[in-house]
Amino acid sequence: MPGPQPDPHRPVTGPPPVLELQEVQIPGRGQPRLDGVSLRLEAGERVALLGPSGAGKSTLLAVANGLLAPRSGAVLWEGQPRARSASKRRRQQARIGTLWQDLRLIEELSVQQNLNAARLAHWGWPRALLNLLLPLESEACAAVLQQLDLDPALLNQPVTALSGGQRQRVALARLLRQEPTLLLADEPLASLDPRLATDLLDLLLRQAQAPRALLLSLHRPDLLGGFDRAIGLRRGRLVFDQPVQAISTTDLQDLYSSHDKGAGGISG
Amino acid sequence: MNATRLIRPAAPLLVVLPALVFLPVLLFLPGQIHGGGWDLIGQFAWAALTPSLDPLVLQSLLNGLAVTIGMALLGWALSLVLGLGLGLVSSRLLWRTLAGTALPADLIRRLLALPRSIHELIWGLLLLQLIGQRPAVAVVAIALPYGALVARVLSDLLDALPTANLAALRAAGAPAPAALLTALGPPLLPGVVSYGGYRLECALRSATLLGVFGLGGLGNELLLTLQSLEFHELWSGLWLLLAVMLSLETVIGILRRRWSMPGRFGLAGERSGGGSVGRRGREILLTLTLLLPTLVVVARALAVDPSTLLHWQPLPPLAPQGWATALALPWPRLVADTLVLTLLAAGLAVGGAPLLLLLVAPWPWGRRLLQLLWALGRLWPPPLTALLLLFVLQPGVVAAALALGFHNLGILGRLLLEGSEAAGPEVEQGLLCGGSGPRLALLYGRFSGLARSYLAYGAYRADVILRETVVVGLVAGSGLGSQLRESLSAFAWDQLALLLAVYALLTLVGEDLSDRGRQRLLGTA
Repeated sequence: MPGPQPDPHRPVTGPPPVLELQEVQIPGRGQPRLDGVSLRLEAGERVALLGPSGAGKSTLLAVANGLLAPRSGAVLWEGQPRARSASKRRRQQARIGTLWQDLRLIEELSVQQNLNAARLAHWGWPRALLNLLLPLESEACAAVLQQLDLDPALLNQPVTALSGGQRQRVALARLLRQEPTLLLADEPLASLDPRLATDLLDLLLRQAQAPRALLLSLHRPDLLGGFDRAIGLRRGRLVFDQPVQAISTTDLQDLYSSHDKGAGGISG
Repeated sequence: MNATRLIRPAAPLLVVLPALVFLPVLLFLPGQIHGGGWDLIGQFAWAALTPSLDPLVLQSLLNGLAVTIGMALLGWALSLVLGLGLGLVSSRLLWRTLAGTALPADLIRRLLALPRSIHELIWGLLLLQLIGQRPAVAVVAIALPYGALVARVLSDLLDALPTANLAALRAAGAPAPAALLTALGPPLLPGVVSYGGYRLECALRSATLLGVFGLGGLGNELLLTLQSLEFHELWSGLWLLLAVMLSLETVIGILRRRWSMPGRFGLAGERSGGGSVGRRGREILLTLTLLLPTLVVVARALAVDPSTLLHWQPLPPLAPQGWATALALPWPRLVADTLVLTLLAAGLAVGGAPLLLLLVAPWPWGRRLLQLLWALGRLWPPPLTALLLLFVLQPGVVAAALALGFHNLGILGRLLLEGSEAAGPEVEQGLLCGGSGPRLALLYGRFSGLARSYLAYGAYRADVILRETVVVGLVAGSGLGSQLRESLSAFAWDQLALLLAVYALLTLVGEDLSDRGRQRLLGTA
């Protein structure tokens, strides 16, 4: 029988997975940055991506948000490969939301203008230009701020006037304003103090309900609690992909250990 | 939260706002077109691909090119010497440290405003009348205004340096000259060398321009081939000049990066050279030692003789009632034309660069094409563009503004592109990943961070454009420049004196306005 193999985990009539990677290969210097990685993210799933520095977590996220095209293998978003035409591609990208580690807020603009920048995929030039002149869609912007326990009075503030924690939340609010189905986050908690980190993680986990799905790279295995699944990545290869409850301390120790079991060399 | 605050245009919008002048220009353009020379424009464009390869033509062009380069090099070197000396004596800090008062510095600054406010072309034409056709004329014409400019930049740099080190050395008992050299020399060097490199690029453009007006070199050949419609030969000269200009810009760019000097576009986040200090000093010294004998050889080859500058030709007698005629000139119209020309050209150049970048954003080859277009714009002396435009346009403000705008677009476009490449791709990439189109991602993602420094540079450029209006005015017949030509050829020294005074006044006011604009833009950043 031609075509892809039926998957026992997946209901036959359900929607396609939000994200699917099939044998993704990304070459690198010496060893590949991603080596035959396959994974699947169903709607409503919250998945943590674990691994030591240089394991390929950021590369995996870059493949997942379309920034990097794999040399071989396939990436499917909601069952579709990367669209050919520019306009379809934009619509596809608009459904992929990324929370960047460096936030990538536009420092010269107000909070509201930054939030509205997430709508540029759907807006034409007139509205995009008007956004630089007038406060547009204030109600929708205020609503996403309130969802994240931020004061709507912040809308008129320049983003440079915000505190570190507020900036994180505004970046998350911009992500919600984009209304994506796939939420990706690259070590979003790295620079936050413990209380802010757990707060932000709670907010993220709360937002990731079907039809959305969340893939988040995490450098702290102690925060795995709210996730459904965890994926272990080491030297560009998938080491484990299992429910959080099934992960043992040995799994984690092996993942982060400095020695290679097979070759016996020391990894960097 | 009042209304004025709410409708203040945000940074990225400010960048494209000057492009609004395209509307009136495009509106008036159809009325300016005369049927005449479209086939000439076609021939000209075709000749770009089929330049003349005749060895005789190439030989004569190469000779002209060598003269132009020599004039540029000598004028530039002389301006640096002048500028360094004058810059030091017009520094407030230096006077305060050495003599206890900053008054002489202020006085010298005011005096230097005069040579600075007069374009090198006017200097060249005046000296041509006074001294005659001598190789030294072009060199001095470049050196005078450039020297005054370098002096201003140098003294501004000096006075903006933090003085804590100096105070510490003085407090420890170091004598004033030694303390000044030790505390201020090293931090001053990168800015001065970087600016000096930029001035060499400008000198090449100026030397070409002076040639167009008969002061020798390639510019003259370009003008003659254009006037005799020998477009194939014209393009041979242009391609040669382009090759020289691009290599010069590349070499200066490489040296700037190698010596970790700041770019022309004061963007944050540029590397500071930690480990390269010793090497940098040695290499700069080596470059200077190589430069000196080169300059002597060039001066010999061009037969530049400073003593000729002292032999002035007698001036023809003034016409009776000359002053009355001079005062009766249509001053308000001349001044208004000059100002409109400045605003239009500045708007076209400042707004055109980001607009064109946005237009070609979706296509990877678009940027390369723009870079070529901009290089041609920098290279082309504006009067030649104006002459070319006159094949199809009526002489007047629109033709002059297009010519001047195109030239400055080349300069601003290059800076904007360099700046946007230095700004880093992250924010733009983030927007693209969220599905926004390439143009909007460029506008929101890159232009936001560049807006203030770019517009500040644009304000400086507008001031330069005001000075340059004379260059196209001489050809396209608008503004003070056109009157200047008539007065020059009529030897009407009274009119000339009045014209120069008005010109100097305008450029000084313009300089003040542009300084204020820049301070506002950079101050609130």
